[in-house]
Parts: sequence; C-alpha cells; structure tokens
Amino acid sequence: MAVEIVMPRVDMDMSSGRMGRWHAAEGAHVVKGATLFEIETDKAAMEVDAPASGVLKFVAASEGDVLPVGACIGWIVPDGEDFVPSASSPQRSPGGREGAELAPATPSAPSRGWRDGRSRDARPIGHPMAADEGARQRATPAARREARERGVRLEDMSGSGPRGRVQLRDIGQRGLVARSASSVHRLWLQRGAGAPVVFLHGFGADLNGWRPVQRLLPNSRPALAIDLPGHGLSPLGEDVSFRALVEAARAAMIEEGVREAHMVGHSLGAAVAAQVAHEPPVKALSLMLIAPAGLGEETNGAFFTGFLQADTEAALTPWLHMLVVDPAALGAALARTTLRQRRERPLASEQRRLAEAILSGGRQGFQVRDLLAAPKAPTKIVFGIEDRITPAHHADGLNGLIALHRFPNVGHMPHLEARREVAALIEELARAGAASA
Amino acid sequence: MSGRELSYAEAIREALAIALERDERVFLMGEDIGVYGGAFQVTGDLVERFGDERIMDTPISELGGAGVAVGAALTGMRPVYEFQFSDFSMLAMEQIVNQAAKLRYMLGGAVHVPVVFRMPTGSGLGGAAQHSQSIEAWYAHVPGLKVVEPSTPEDVKGMLLAAIRDPDPVVVFEHKLLYKMKGETPEGYYETPLDRAVVRRKGGDLTIVAAAIMVHRALEAADILAKDGIEAEVIDLRCLRPLDKDAIVASVTKTGRLLAVYEGVKTLGIGAEISAIVAESEAFDYLDAPIMRLGGVEAPIPYSPVLEKAAVPQTEDIIAAARRLARSEV
Repeated sequence: MAVEIVMPRVDMDMSSGRMGRWHAAEGAHVVKGATLFEIETDKAAMEVDAPASGVLKFVAASEGDVLPVGACIGWIVPDGEDFVPSASSPQRSPGGREGAELAPATPSAPSRGWRDGRSRDARPIGHPMAADEGARQRATPAARREARERGVRLEDMSGSGPRGRVQLRDIGQRGLVARSASSVHRLWLQRGAGAPVVFLHGFGADLNGWRPVQRLLPNSRPALAIDLPGHGLSPLGEDVSFRALVEAARAAMIEEGVREAHMVGHSLGAAVAAQVAHEPPVKALSLMLIAPAGLGEETNGAFFTGFLQADTEAALTPWLHMLVVDPAALGAALARTTLRQRRERPLASEQRRLAEAILSGGRQGFQVRDLLAAPKAPTKIVFGIEDRITPAHHADGLNGLIALHRFPNVGHMPHLEARREVAALIEELARAGAASA
Repeated sequence: MSGRELSYAEAIREALAIALERDERVFLMGEDIGVYGGAFQVTGDLVERFGDERIMDTPISELGGAGVAVGAALTGMRPVYEFQFSDFSMLAMEQIVNQAAKLRYMLGGAVHVPVVFRMPTGSGLGGAAQHSQSIEAWYAHVPGLKVVEPSTPEDVKGMLLAAIRDPDPVVVFEHKLLYKMKGETPEGYYETPLDRAVVRRKGGDLTIVAAAIMVHRALEAADILAKDGIEAEVIDLRCLRPLDKDAIVASVTKTGRLLAVYEGVKTLGIGAEISAIVAESEAFDYLDAPIMRLGGVEAPIPYSPVLEKAAVPQTEDIIAAARRLARSEV
C-alpha cells in the first residue's frame, strides 16, 4: 500500500517547516529507515527517514518550500503497485496511518496539492475553507449527479467554482475511476470473462468469508470480493455512513472495470448490494440478498455490542455462535483470526464507529426495502429461518417477483451453513440474470 | 416570404377589429377609448368603424366599468375592457378577482365569464409611482384567471383573439414600451395559444426566462454575450398563468443555468415562481450554478428618468448577470 510522506512535526511549537534537501530523486527506490529528506525548523535542521520501502513518487515539495505540518510532500509506492494519490486530506489516504506517526496533532491541516499544475486543491493554505475540511463538499446539483453516475467521490475533489465549489466541468476532467477506490481492498477470487459475481460481506466479516461458497461455483464464473470500509484490509475513511459503504463498493467495482455484475451480498453487504444495483453506473444483472439487512428496522443490538467488545476467544466465541445453528459451519479458527486481525488493524474501533453511525440503538439506520418494490433484475432472497440477527420475517411482503428461499435449521450465515445450496442458487440466478439481460 | 409589419398597438387594434367583425357579441369598454382613441391610442378609429354602442366610453369608475363587463359576459356577451393603466385595475380588483375569476367555480360550471381585461403596464415612460407598476404577478396568483403578457405584435394579435374567444376571463398585460415596436404580423384571423412559452433564441450556456419588454432586452443581451462566446437561450414566457413549466424545465435541463428576468418587484415576483419550478423539477439535478433573478428594485417606480431606468433590469444588467452566471462567478 502506498505511504504518504508528510511534513512532520518535530517539536511541539512547530506549525510549518522548511524543506531541505531530498536524499532521493523522484522515481528512485527508497528503503524504509534510510534518510529521505531534510527539514529546517526555527530551531534546528534534521533528517527524516523513509517511512516505508518503495518508489518515491508524486514529490510535491522542493528545497526551500515552507509547508504546514501534515502537508503531503510525496508518496512511497510499493514496487509494481499502480497508485495515484487522492487529493484528500492525509488521514483518509491509504497510507495515512503510517504517515500519521509523524503527522500533526491537527489532522485537518490542508494538503498542498501538486506543484506541477495538476493541483486539485486551489485553495490557499489558511483559507477559511480549510477549517471546514471534512465538512460536506460544496458542489452543484449537476456535479453531484455526474459524480453519482460515474462513481466519483466529491469529497476527494476541490472544485473550480466560487469557494471551491465543484462544477460539472471539474467532474468532466476526471476519469471514471474514483481515486479513493484505491484504498478499498478487493480480490478476484476467480478471474474470467463475462460479468462477475461481486461479493459484499456483512458487518464484522471480510471478503474471506466468501471463499467456502465461491469454491463451489464453476471455474468459469468470475468472482470479485470486496472488503467494505472498516473491514478486512479496507480503512474506514472519514465519511462513516451507509452511503459511504455503497460508494466505496461501487468505486472498487468501477476501478476493476466491472460495469455489469451479479451482485451477491450478505446482511449489511446485501443492503449495500441492493443500493449499488439500484443506481448507475454499475448494472446489476442479478441480485442475491443473503440474510439481508435494510428490509426492516430491528436488529440484534446486543450481538453487535458483544461482538465488538469481546477481546478474548472465550468472550468472542459465544457471540459468533449466535450467527449459526451449528457452530461447526463457522470453522474452528474464526474467533482466533478475528482477534488477530483486530490486533493488527483498528478494526474494532472502526466497526464500533460504523455501528454507532448506522446501527445505533439496535435499529438499522438504512433502508433498501423501497428499492425492491420494482426489481430491475432477477432477485433472490435467502434467509435462515433461525436467523437471530436479522429476522427472516423481514423478507415478508416484498414484490412477488422476488424469489424467497427459506432454509430451516439455518441461522444468519446461509452461505456457510447451507453453502452447497446457496452456491447452486447463486449460479442459477447468475444464469437467469445473464439470459434476461 | 417577407410579411407585413405592424406596430404592437396596430396589431391589437387589428385583432379587436377582426373580433368585432366576426362576432357581434364582442364590444369594447374603457375610459377614453372612443373619440379620444385610448390613453395609448390603441383603439384609435375603431369608434368610427363600429360606432359608440360597441366602442363604449365609460365614466371614471374602474370598478363600475369592470362590473358592467363581468355582468355582460355572464349574459353571453364578449366584452373587452381596457384599463388606462394596469395600476388603475386595483380599483376593479373585486370584479376581476372575486367575481370574474370565481363565478364559474362557485356556480358549479353553470356560467362562464368570457371577459378580457387589457392592461397597459410597466415603466419607461415617466409615469411615476402610480402609473408604471408591473403587477402581473398579482393576477397570476389567482386561480380562475388566465394571465398573458405578449412580447410581439404577432403574439399580441393572436393571443388577444384567443382571449376573446376563450370562455373564461383573461387578463392581457401590454407593456407600454412595446406599443410602438414593429414586427411581422400575419393577416386575418389566427389564435396563439394561451398556455405556451416560446424559445426566442437557442443557446447552450444559460437559460434566460423573460416576458414582455424583458424578452427584447434579453435578446439584445444575448447578441452581445455571443460575442464573448456565451450562448444564451431566451425563453419568452408569453403566459404567466398557466406557466409553461415544461419549456422552462427542458431548457434548464439542457443549459444547467437559469437567469429569470422580470420587471415586477423582485421579491415574490414571477422570477421567484420560475426559480421554484426549476428547483422542484427534474432540472434540479442539472443545475450547475445557483439560480439567479433580476427583478425590479424594492421601491416604487421613481419619476426621475435616471432612477426609473435604474429601478428595473436593463440590457446591461442582464449582460452582467449572465456573464457572471455563465462563468461560474456566482
């Protein structure tokens, strides 16, 4: 993952620093720990080490430049990685966490943009808008519509209109790819021709949870799995909302060149899948919602609290068992793996923030029921009758064109507990979707 | 096919004469419309051609005259009542708003009130505060009335003929500065719809919505803007009630920018309604700049010619506003 290089704060009083000499040229390979550049403060000059190994790219400061603490001065990109930085503030960027070790106590310091005229941030440093960073991006309705349709995140842009307002022309200059999509982790579980199955996992899970069911699909069926923000290897980002999950999933799909897909989502991911399927630019050829959230209000608040608080295997295991009827379906290592991941990445805190934003008070703070009123593509809903997280009756009363598959003796994880049947249904639906498209 | 040119006033007179000839139920009423020929010489010699029973001078009582007209319309006549100034129609509000506009509704459709009120309107002739107002939005607020504001001789003739034949009350605003303006005018009888706007000039960069004299100022502005590479689309509303929403929405959907220009006082005027129509419509998602309004200042129309000009949008104001809008400076 690319690591951002920022102007470090080397003493408490420092608000800006003067760039000294670079010890490596743009495009050169640098090694973590080696001296990368020098800075001069009011009191001293000092050397700064490379925070990571890789290729020095997007250098945005040269000797003599005075930059605020936290300003982006370049990136270290791992060999072979195709990376373009977003123009957003440092902590949202993929390498933000690494950069933050040196970075400012005031994370809202504006980034400077690029010297070479490609700067997307036309605002001068210290402009009043800088204090608003993280606030909603100003944009015209036309720019918002265009961004929506093309999967571009407005939050990553700085507009050319008055007070940084994003205009239609600003979107027009951008490619179809949302830059922030680079931070959304995804994996082709199976490559191949044609519209892929796109898997979106549920709350607290990650893309690896799809492997058992994906293995049962024909090898000819391409499959892309995505880690939703705050899960797996995808950072949560600043915008903590259901909409942000949708945009992240959509952006990752667009960046992978996926324009038509068989959307398969589980629980929270099912709601995200329904929303992605509902709006351009990705066309859903079929939609499978497994134990979907977003169809009713209630959910199991205690589960989310307990699941996120448990910090030992013994504490976590009972909560995980709530997901299923027969614990054997989960695999023995799940609790251990989950806890290990939480140690390596701030998953628990990010997921807690996400839960507060969208599942507060044991209620689902998002709805996709209305989107299913008139299905645009063949749609199936799969529920375990013993689901203790999202009750199976949430699927009642939907449009009769939506096929409802209810499995007895199955809980919240039909794709694990009844994986053969679910795999068969995915394949059947994908064929129906491709045929009707 | 170079057509015949008439002035706006001549086109009105021709429409009235045709209607008087075609339909014996048609007659005209108003102060000084007979021998004097009308405050703005619109009726001219009609009294000589049709006699003083059909071209009736009325006493200085707008309420009384309008009341007679409404009553005659109820009995099946087709009266056309001329106010000397639209400002004076305030004296006849009761007849126009409370009677003409509502009787068909209140009597369950048993009656119609096919009356036409003609109203010389607007500033520019030094008429000062009580003879220069633009109160068309007041009437456009009243269900039961049709309110039109034609901008060309061709339109005023066709719309007046349509208004006279219409079974319900129609208020026709005639901008005083237009009376002498000439334009191609078809001969004979024709009607121009009372519910349709028209695109006077096509353009892709912004939409200017205007009516009456403002249409001409907008077209003048558009020609100058075109030299800067800004192509304005100019919509002539023609009708204020009903408003042709589809025409406005279609244009703004294309251009992404709206400038509403109107002579009436800016606050709560026609431009406010147009802005709201766009904001509520599917064109909203195509707006690429804030909506802009250019309206009259929040003051009575001054007598001083300099201030009178400054009180309502002029061509230069439209150019300046359109430039800022098209260049995303607002």
